[in-house]
Amino acid sequence: MTQSDRFERMLKWFPPAWRARYGEGLRALLEDSYGDGRIPWRARASFARSGLGERVRESGLAGDVSGASQQLRAGSLLILCGWSAFMAAGAIFAKVSEHWSYSTPVVSRAVPVVGYGIVTWAGAIGVALVAVGALAALPSLIALLRRGGWPSIRRPTQRAVITCAVVAVLTGALAGWAHFLSPQDRNGGLVAYEVAFLVWSTVVIVALAVGTGSVVAVVARLDIPLKRVRALSMAALALALVMVAVLGGVVVWWVSESSAAPSFLRDNIGSGIVPLFRTFSPTMVVAVTFMVLGLAVALKGVARVTRTLRSADVTPGAAA
Amino acid sequence: MVTRRRGAGTALGRNNEPPLLILTSLASGEKHGYALLRDIEAFAGVVLGPGALYGAITRLEERGLIEPIPSEDRRQPYRITSSGRAALAGAVREMRALSDEGAARLGLREMVRGRAPRPLRQGATP
Repeated sequence: MTQSDRFERMLKWFPPAWRARYGEGLRALLEDSYGDGRIPWRARASFARSGLGERVRESGLAGDVSGASQQLRAGSLLILCGWSAFMAAGAIFAKVSEHWSYSTPVVSRAVPVVGYGIVTWAGAIGVALVAVGALAALPSLIALLRRGGWPSIRRPTQRAVITCAVVAVLTGALAGWAHFLSPQDRNGGLVAYEVAFLVWSTVVIVALAVGTGSVVAVVARLDIPLKRVRALSMAALALALVMVAVLGGVVVWWVSESSAAPSFLRDNIGSGIVPLFRTFSPTMVVAVTFMVLGLAVALKGVARVTRTLRSADVTPGAAA
Repeated sequence: MVTRRRGAGTALGRNNEPPLLILTSLASGEKHGYALLRDIEAFAGVVLGPGALYGAITRLEERGLIEPIPSEDRRQPYRITSSGRAALAGAVREMRALSDEGAARLGLREMVRGRAPRPLRQGATP
């Protein structure tokens, strides 16, 4: 690989529109700075950080966006990004808590049942809210396609479809393998299955991130009336409340299960990978970490939405 | 938590942040990316990464504080605009006010410029 190829590859961190505007100057700067010499990892990291930052700005999730409609849309999409982290965490939690009640003494089940119930119901409400939001945005998507806007959303849509297909194939393979294993092997007894499960989980998380990025990219190109954007942002605020409820439910379940059935958490998947985890379920740590990070992103969106809703120009009937 | 007043100076960030460093560098004349990096390293001792430099250039150009100059060369030179000068002047004044206040409170007489230190609040340690 030539130095010019390396520079070109580094520039790929930035979005195409940005490269068209600043790419030539930045390439010249790289040539002046590094010539044919080694490119320090700090410079590469600076590139990656700045390039991803520009991509986030271009999507409208961060930075200055003008107009109440764009502000509400950006805030709502941030909440959706937070929700995707909850989806990943929810999948992990669902695996961890599989058949939990069989390992918990009947007299100690009351509190974990409440926690688990909150997670289940709040999760269902969250999924319903996202589905309603998708349906509300559907007419705008159809209008975009009728206007011949497919080329503008082709790449993110293709990315999402390909990652979904990869996840489907891997899920089928893992489920097929699991079919021939005993419940003990599936829950921490077989290290190879543990590793495969962790790889699959990582792929699912990456797919969720790619899928969410694709949704953000597509929604940025939709022409949604302000009244509908306002309704969607209210649904997004409700989704943020759902996230708080889910996190609360998970913490209640985890804490109560830790005292009611500690062996159930100790024997969970991933517990044998690092000896320390013998006494502390790593999968639950990962799940709750995802939830906390997701909630932090969502709260940024909540702040943006509420700030915009309080301003005068989003009162019903006002122009976008 | 720190709550900042919105103003020209604070909008540019802290005194070691790329936007302020770039405006300061361009205040003495137009420069392209590499010249900016070297100048900033010389006067502030800050080594900016190329990504951070161009990220800040993008923001400054969007806000109309700097502008590109037509060039035949692949190196793209930039110059500070009148809005950029005003923003930089505001930032410099704000930093100067903070510097003077700090010098007065520390009793650094050689740095205080014609002002008496403010009396300390009752109960505050000198």
